[in-house]
Amino acid sequence: MLDGLATFGAAFAVFANFTTLFNVAWATLIGIVIGALPGLTATMAVALLTTLTYRMVPEQAILVLIAVYVGAIYGGSRSAILLNIPGTPANAATTLDGFPLAKQGLAGEAMGLATSASVLGTIIGVLFLAALAPMLAEFALSFGSYEFFWLAIFGIVIAGQMTSFEDALKGWIIGFLGLLVAMVGQEGIHAEPRFSYGNSDLAGGIALIPALVGAFGFAEVLSVMKERAAEMAARTVDRVVPGLADLWRYKRTIGRSGLIGTIVGIIPGVGEDIGAWVSYGAARRASKEADQFGKGSREGLIAAETGNNAAIPGALIPALTLAVPGSAPAAVLLAAMFIHGIRPGPLIMIEAPEFVYQVVWMVLLATVAMGVFGLALTRPLLTVLRVPRERLMPVVFVLCVIGPYAISQRLFDVYVMLFFGVVGFILREMKYPMAPLVLGIILGDILDKNLRRALVLSDGDLTPFFTRPVSAVLWVTTALIILFALPPVRHATARMMGWNKSA
Amino acid sequence: MQQRPLARADLITGLVLTALGAVTAFESYRMPRLEERSIDPWTAPGIVPGSLGIIIFVLGAALALRSVAAGAFTATFEAEDDPAEARAGRFRFWLCMALCLIYAVGLVGHAPFWLATLLFVFSFIVAFEWKSDDSPRSRGVKLALAAAIAVATAGFVPFLFETLFLVRLP
Repeated sequence: MLDGLATFGAAFAVFANFTTLFNVAWATLIGIVIGALPGLTATMAVALLTTLTYRMVPEQAILVLIAVYVGAIYGGSRSAILLNIPGTPANAATTLDGFPLAKQGLAGEAMGLATSASVLGTIIGVLFLAALAPMLAEFALSFGSYEFFWLAIFGIVIAGQMTSFEDALKGWIIGFLGLLVAMVGQEGIHAEPRFSYGNSDLAGGIALIPALVGAFGFAEVLSVMKERAAEMAARTVDRVVPGLADLWRYKRTIGRSGLIGTIVGIIPGVGEDIGAWVSYGAARRASKEADQFGKGSREGLIAAETGNNAAIPGALIPALTLAVPGSAPAAVLLAAMFIHGIRPGPLIMIEAPEFVYQVVWMVLLATVAMGVFGLALTRPLLTVLRVPRERLMPVVFVLCVIGPYAISQRLFDVYVMLFFGVVGFILREMKYPMAPLVLGIILGDILDKNLRRALVLSDGDLTPFFTRPVSAVLWVTTALIILFALPPVRHATARMMGWNKSA
Repeated sequence: MQQRPLARADLITGLVLTALGAVTAFESYRMPRLEERSIDPWTAPGIVPGSLGIIIFVLGAALALRSVAAGAFTATFEAEDDPAEARAGRFRFWLCMALCLIYAVGLVGHAPFWLATLLFVFSFIVAFEWKSDDSPRSRGVKLALAAAIAVATAGFVPFLFETLFLVRLP
């Protein structure tokens, strides 16, 4: 415990300089702007910035990416409140009460509450990050190949289920397609090329960043240009700084939403958007003013914005300790860590314990910057929302093309980006979630190596896959998730429990 | 509630996935087993992709069967709420797709990057902002703005990557 505190204190020394302040400031601001612009998501922001920061020293590069991540998830609340369009998917629940508040002439108050809730949510999440990450890393040291195999399957199944709740089948399909994408190229045990058919580019594999820039960048450009342009709800704003009494009144909601957001963030591949929805749902059930939800409830807005920001540190917990990302932007962050020579996973508390605490500081610094910019730059940020998409999207697409190229210097990655952009757009139009795809691409290697290693260890005997304690917990949970997603079982359970359809 | 046009799309996707799963499983079966390197047979490269192929085959078949039950064969396209906007949306989508592909496939790598970017950004903005009933003055302003954004992007992006990050652009 004391060792942890000492390492935590020492970790700050890395950031006690002017470069840090400068990087946190511009990166958080860029994150807020990107998040506020409809169609530009946090995942895309982190992916594009990865390409812009790979020449920086690792600590500063990851700091920039985390600041962009935190800023973008918060920034999305701006367009949710003012345009009724979530700036990122994480802010979808924010529109329900944020936009009605703006229409009542309370846009400034709504933005102030969203800012405070986001700051408090991130702080709650970061406390859990500091406390849980070392424990989880220590626990994960007992994981063998059997457990990592089940963790990969569990991750895909639960991410597929939670990101596509009404239609888990589509979530699973996209997750397993992600795993299949990861099979292209040289495999990790014998370096044998798979599905490459003599093509040296394919033998190098499909890199995560080009695929993500395509699925979250190019696909978004296509979606944004296809949709009708949005109208802003408020052109002027009222008081922005929220009253402390308001926040104190909703302390239970803030605490609950922070906890829920963090837990949802920890679940592999299930990130800020689900964190916000689950927090919002829980707040409505517990609220004395439930009838106000959806009509401009301050409590609803606070719950959604606390929940989504708390999911950020939550998503970093498994990313750091298991190398399994808790959300799509965390997946890109994980890839960026590998690019910078940092190796997240169970050994991180042995090999680089200071890095975990540095991440805690990074999130805290970004949170402070987010709060300051959020309250101080309300009016300039309104101007950003007035930039017409016709003038913004071509510049975004230029970055989508050059970003992946800059990392590997091969045009093949530009074509990968285009392919995933078009496929991602089509799948999105057919209501497939994208987060399990990202998780699949990340988990493919873990699944591949660990299944084969485990089979070698047991000489083909499947018994240890089911009998080892952690494996048993993982496969039973996975099986239950699949079972309860089957429509006949869901309907039977709902009948037995007396739930009606509207509940 | 499943919408019927979506059910038809699901049927097609389901069939494509079933075929993809089958081909993947078959190709994985054909993968070298590396016996000449005396590897443990449980580490053969085709084991995991083959299993994934089978899983995708099953999931694709489930999607196809479910879409048939949801009325994929009797699907009729419902009238759009706002046909003019839907048409305009489709036009914007195809225009955007065409411009992006011409830039990324046709220009990048074949023309100097700054020139490709300049042409792309300028044509994109002009193509989307062009209105036949614009006054000559407003058209002039739009063209000037498009040119300014294009020049700024074509100047700044190469500067950022080539001068600051020392990356050779295509």
